Amino acid sequence: MTQSLPPKSLVLYADDDPEDIELVSEAFYAYSQNVELMTFRDGIELLNFIETIDPFHAAPCLFILDINMPRLNGKETLRRLRRIESFAEVPAVLFSTSSLPADAAFAKNFNAGFVTKPLHTKQVHMIIDEIVEHCSDEVKKMIRKRNRNSN
Amino acid sequence: MTKKALSLTEFMDLPQELQFQVLHKHGVYVGKRKVDNKSVVLFQLHGFYVEMFYKQYRKIIDHIITSDSTDILQPYLDQIHIRDLNEGKKEG
Repeated sequence: MTQSLPPKSLVLYADDDPEDIELVSEAFYAYSQNVELMTFRDGIELLNFIETIDPFHAAPCLFILDINMPRLNGKETLRRLRRIESFAEVPAVLFSTSSLPADAAFAKNFNAGFVTKPLHTKQVHMIIDEIVEHCSDEVKKMIRKRNRNSN
Repeated sequence: MTKKALSLTEFMDLPQELQFQVLHKHGVYVGKRKVDNKSVVLFQLHGFYVEMFYKQYRKIIDHIITSDSTDILQPYLDQIHIRDLNEGKKEG
């Protein structure tokens, strides 16, 4: 008898810095059994992709948006995502190199988290855990359950 | 962690781990460049600058350089936009 695997949770991450994309991809590898990370070079690419998503097949559980990106920055991407009914409530995190209070307030206004990029190894995993904390309780529960089963 | 603006001397007197915590919480990103294929990131912190030289980007820090001179901005000038100066920041 074949048993179908439950779908992975889809995390969409937009950042124009290839080194940051590599860093986050590496850190998300720990969750790869449960989470599929898709990366984009800017907000336009991410928004173009979500237009192609079949909501019955997979739905993003989290958006991670670098603030400073060419063509469409993270704040404007977040603003546009919130205008789309099916993504208005999906957890999102603005991912920034600076802890500017104005950016944190912007994130809060659009019901998003705000996380400052790590400076060194000790902060990397702490920050990825902080990002995952923004997922819904249902997704977090599934991640924990599957991680327990795989240990 | 203190909310008071630190002077360059006070920052230099902090233990290294605390320096990184302060920089992470209060530093404002200015720009990034490559030196010998290694990443270097410049932050503004209160009235001075901290430049981080990485061995491995965002993982292993080789050393930092601090300065209160704007000369340190020179290699990053192409990344600083008028809009950012007006807003007093460079986002990342």
